[in-house]
Amino acid sequence: MEWTKNRLLGIAALSLLFISGLFLVLSPSDEEGRVDFEASGSGGETAVGADAGINAGINAGINAGTDAGTDAGTDAGINAGTDAGSAETVSAGSEKVLKIATPNVIKSESLIGDYFLGIFAHLSNYPLMQLSETGKLEGRLADRYEVSEDHTEWTFYIKDDLYWSDGVKVSPEDVRFSVLCYAKIPTGRWINDTLESSAVSEADNSVTLKFNKPYTRINLEFATYMILPEHVWEKIENPAEYTSKGPYVGCGPYYLENIDLAAAHLIFRKNPYWQGKTPNFDVLEIDWYGSEDAACLALEKGDADTYHKYAASYPYASIERLEKTGTFNFVEKDSIGLCYLGITLNEAPRSDPLFREALAFAINYEEIIRLDTLGYGAVPNRGLVPPGMEYYKPTEKCSYAPEKARKILKDAGYADKNNNGILEDKSGKDICLQLMIRQDYERDAELLQEYFRAVGIDVKIENVDRNNYNDRKDSSGYELVFSRATPWGMLMHAGLGTGYFDYRRYGYIDDPEFTGLCDRLLNTTDPDSLKTASYALQDYYAEELPVIPIYWKKIVVPYNKKFEGWHYNNMDGIYNPETFLDLHEV
Amino acid sequence: MHSAVKKTLRYLSSFALIVTLNFALPRFMPGDPVKNLIGEDVYVSEAVMEEIRTELGLNRPLIEQFSAYLQGLLRFDLGYSYHLHSPVSEVLQARIGWTLLLVGVSVVLGAILGILLGAYAGWKPETKLNRGIYCGFIAISCTPPYFLALLFLGIFAFKLGLFPFKGFYDTPTIGSVAYHLFLPVSVLALFSASRNFLVMRGSVIQEKEQLYALYARAKGLYDTSILFRHVVKNASLPIITLLALDFGFLFSGALFIEIVFSLNGMGTLIYDAIIGKDYPLLQGAFLVIALSVLLANIFADLLYAAVDPRVRRPA
Repeated sequence: MEWTKNRLLGIAALSLLFISGLFLVLSPSDEEGRVDFEASGSGGETAVGADAGINAGINAGINAGTDAGTDAGTDAGINAGTDAGSAETVSAGSEKVLKIATPNVIKSESLIGDYFLGIFAHLSNYPLMQLSETGKLEGRLADRYEVSEDHTEWTFYIKDDLYWSDGVKVSPEDVRFSVLCYAKIPTGRWINDTLESSAVSEADNSVTLKFNKPYTRINLEFATYMILPEHVWEKIENPAEYTSKGPYVGCGPYYLENIDLAAAHLIFRKNPYWQGKTPNFDVLEIDWYGSEDAACLALEKGDADTYHKYAASYPYASIERLEKTGTFNFVEKDSIGLCYLGITLNEAPRSDPLFREALAFAINYEEIIRLDTLGYGAVPNRGLVPPGMEYYKPTEKCSYAPEKARKILKDAGYADKNNNGILEDKSGKDICLQLMIRQDYERDAELLQEYFRAVGIDVKIENVDRNNYNDRKDSSGYELVFSRATPWGMLMHAGLGTGYFDYRRYGYIDDPEFTGLCDRLLNTTDPDSLKTASYALQDYYAEELPVIPIYWKKIVVPYNKKFEGWHYNNMDGIYNPETFLDLHEV
Repeated sequence: MHSAVKKTLRYLSSFALIVTLNFALPRFMPGDPVKNLIGEDVYVSEAVMEEIRTELGLNRPLIEQFSAYLQGLLRFDLGYSYHLHSPVSEVLQARIGWTLLLVGVSVVLGAILGILLGAYAGWKPETKLNRGIYCGFIAISCTPPYFLALLFLGIFAFKLGLFPFKGFYDTPTIGSVAYHLFLPVSVLALFSASRNFLVMRGSVIQEKEQLYALYARAKGLYDTSILFRHVVKNASLPIITLLALDFGFLFSGALFIEIVFSLNGMGTLIYDAIIGKDYPLLQGAFLVIALSVLLANIFADLLYAAVDPRVRRPA
């Protein structure tokens, strides 16, 4: 009897557990955010004209705007496509849906705060600038820009045919508002520190930003900040901390309709007020997967039409399997990202150019490329910069010549006097370098260790966690580091990878020749001067070898053969407006 | 002192220790939360970093930070997540529900399966079937969770196409949730069952040799009656302890399953918070785990007393 009572007690407790679980799961969690939003507004609809209802809140704003669009009769299909919260309609069948698989996991519903959400939202909330397919900076929201001679005043002319998804025209005020908005978040504090004034001209649809110091690369900086609709976001006290499932008003060919963390997908829907070329798909569904393995399996199964991982390729090891399905073709492009061996120059023997020269000759580039990228890589030039970058200069190719490395070391005075197989430095101590890596680079580190030992240089591998790695890398607290440069990383600071190596940023090179070249690049927008300084910088890399490029990478992106019209740029990969405007069934 | 008072004091002191450790442990980890917040390949000056530290209260003396943390706790305020841009309590609320559903169901299924099969296997360990089951569960308990989860995903979602690859649902309906959770729950339940099976089997093998089992047989009781009315009752005591300990696992241990099946649960939340050095989120998540383990242990203590008269009897 007592035992039965206990069992009942247990069952009751567990039932309570599940009921509470179900209750927590099924109770809407974004309610609070929405209430705040509406409360902070003017309370209800403030209709602007007959067809552009703008609500106080973002969510309401989209509903009103898109419904109003239907009323105006501009597009017969708007209503079905733009009702808020219609993620379910994606699977309803009649809509054309393009599914993109990604391992870039969205962790929060904060449009500005979540890193990958921000990247995906560049399709709906255009940044001012973008990289073109040829690697040049061009306007996305901006039509063109002008910069004053002293590089303190930048004027961006906004495209005339862009409309937010609630029917309001995109204005320079939106740009000014967004810039000021970003000035409040950590990564945009530089704006707060340097922006002196901003002015808007309705006449020529432009916004002028005046800084208290010269900036030559504002056009690049503004390729990463999405522009927000002022009439919606001005009601929000702290935009960086605003979270909502959506919809979010956007001005691209699609707007972000729904973020569903539990379903692991983003839904983008056609912007009813888009004036440009009509996209062929009604809906874009971004499905994120917790692991690359799962994303690859889903793609092979046909659950997605393409794959996108920011600044990375489809896993090289999975390409062959996917090819065998016969369903996919591949976009194959040279990335401007690369893998490199960083060498801090503060102590001997690392400070000796001949020693670094020997290190460069000791590396078997072909082998490391074959093992690491399965052939989807290329032996780099000593000048570091990959061919896809603007102002690339062909310098001498890196080559594997261990005998030459040994000779250079011998001639430079490094000898193995105690015959233990390891060379001694000038003070008579065995040369042993610490090679810092983080997870994922163990194999590369072991290969480098083997190559260097083969020429008499001992290497100890330090595999550190991400926190430690970032701390030490940013403070140059290491001897050697094997790392990767992302496309954005190659462009930041003075470009050409300088952001990683200039000691005034997160680097270790304090040679006045190098910093002088960085300054030359930072102080001009003139293409000829940029070209001269870029060439000189690549020569510096090639001659001094403060960093040894290990391999250039290819980006491989699979896509369903049914569709054609893919475009690629080095910052967004295939995830760019041109792709989604051109994409069509074969 | 009355034993209940003693126990209460013990649990209270455990709680105080947990709260202190929750605050201290994340701060002992290497790395700078502000650098993590800014991210890789983004440069901000040291002055701005300092400004952010001030805003987050990270440059205040530890004792002041601890006192602010305690004051927050007294107001049931767990703080604000640096990375997820939401109050920690909201983030936890959204994740705990799903985790309770995922791991809770798995633990219960695992307990039922493990106890029943373990009891049978312990009662008649010499049969071929039971030997086969024993080998099967040993194999499962030795398999890395990530591998088993991928295997299930590969077979049932990829090859056979019976289940979806990711998420808790496509549309938020009970049917869709059940469909999406079938595979992850199966994997977790099998893991849980394998542990319970092995403990139960060993326990039953021991108990069935006891005199009370022989006496029951002498009385003419059937095998099933002896096993389930007498032996299982005594043999299940270690399982209660195991289940109580599983409550910690309930909130954190499903990390690999969450990664493979792309589920937005507590495992990935804690993992990301550790990687990103999100102190408030870590403190909140650890507190919830610790509290649930404490509660589960209280519950196990009570259940032990209810099941085993020797525990109730004064020493």
